[in-house]
Amino acid sequence: MRRVIGEVCVAVLLVAAILAASFLAPTESTMGHAQRLVYIHVPVAWFDLLAFLAMGVCGIVYLARRDLKWDHGFQAAAEVGWLCCGLTLVTGSLWAHEAWGTWWEWDPRLTTTFILWAIYSGVLLVRSGIEDPHHRARVGAVLAILGALDVPLVIVATRWFRGMHPVAPEMTPSMRVALLTGVVGFTVFFLFLARGRYEQLESENGVLELRRQMEG
Amino acid sequence: MTRVAKISACWREWPERRESLRRMAGFWWIVHKDLVSEFRSRRVWPAMLLLGIVVALLFSIQMNLLPEQKRQILGGLLWLSVFFAGTSLFDRSFALEREDGCQGALQLLPVGPGTVFLAKLTVNALALLALEGLLIPLFFILSDLSLGAHAGPLLLIAVLASPAPAAVGTLVSGLAVGQGRGGLLVLVVLPLAVPVLLAAAECTRLALESRLDEVWWRWLQLLGAFAVIFVAAGVLLFEYVIED
Repeated sequence: MRRVIGEVCVAVLLVAAILAASFLAPTESTMGHAQRLVYIHVPVAWFDLLAFLAMGVCGIVYLARRDLKWDHGFQAAAEVGWLCCGLTLVTGSLWAHEAWGTWWEWDPRLTTTFILWAIYSGVLLVRSGIEDPHHRARVGAVLAILGALDVPLVIVATRWFRGMHPVAPEMTPSMRVALLTGVVGFTVFFLFLARGRYEQLESENGVLELRRQMEG
Repeated sequence: MTRVAKISACWREWPERRESLRRMAGFWWIVHKDLVSEFRSRRVWPAMLLLGIVVALLFSIQMNLLPEQKRQILGGLLWLSVFFAGTSLFDRSFALEREDGCQGALQLLPVGPGTVFLAKLTVNALALLALEGLLIPLFFILSDLSLGAHAGPLLLIAVLASPAPAAVGTLVSGLAVGQGRGGLLVLVVLPLAVPVLLAAAECTRLALESRLDEVWWRWLQLLGAFAVIFVAAGVLLFEYVIED
């Protein structure tokens, strides 16, 4: 019952985020409806950084405790983070086409997001080919910690070498409300996805353990 | 302080000094072993240097541009060639340790994993510097630009740009030992090293345009920061990399 209530809450928050972006936020004067991409772009961009940091934390805790639960958390964060990073690039590119007249610009923040996406992809690809779960966890943890060191560079690169990317654009109060609703709604939704994947990995591990015990 | 007190203080500090001396000796032993092994077998460096030359030539074929345009793109192409050829080095860095239980012997050394990492990193950084020493003049010759006026800044950029990719490559190479995943792990090295590539390319472009101003200095600081962060991370993480 608690699970169903949780799922309903996630659905309500997600629908609220979409409705706020579509109807509550006013149409921007220069970009028109294309500006509404911001209400998706910012939440997914925020979540991909959050997922990357979660991967780093899970990696560190795994190396300290050697408990595969943390590696399952790592894998769930990596998969949802990869999805969000890809969505950040796609929505950012669509927005850039309307705002700057080009699909892509080597702006520091765009470049760093692309690097993060490449690291996410590399880590997932490398892990997928390793059979031993503890070795897989160790490789993922080391790579994620190295990758997490790249995250502060997103901030540093933008602050030091401010490119075309807007840092804190002007927004009306209703735009701010729509953005905040989007950040909350999408964050809860992606956390829900990550939790589902985590539980699936735990169950999978449980089945494998059971099989090992029956065979051994 | 009396002479007796001095001798007594020195005696008390002796275990720590002995420990640091042992680490330094272990460090030099591994560096020496790897350099001698490479000098005798010539298995890694010649292939890396040749790959660098070939990539540089292929890039230069496309550089039928005005001198100003060449100055703008030379940095990017140069560092791309260095990093691309460097991946062949990282791929092989720990591969030799697989033979005859060398890795096990390396782990038995009473020096700690951090020292082993620093020694391996030093050898890889030296290899990258050798590659840069070859490719920088080569690119200038092929693009018909003067190297003499920019030699100082370029040397500084080369010294600062080498440790970070070498550190990442050494760590990743250690992860790949015995897994047959070297090719795939290179996929991770390049994205991790891209920020260094961008900073080095930007620094080189500004140096070639004789704009050694505050912006150049910032990019240079970023290169230094990358070097410190990745070398420190490598020293801390290497223990987990070679534990098998």
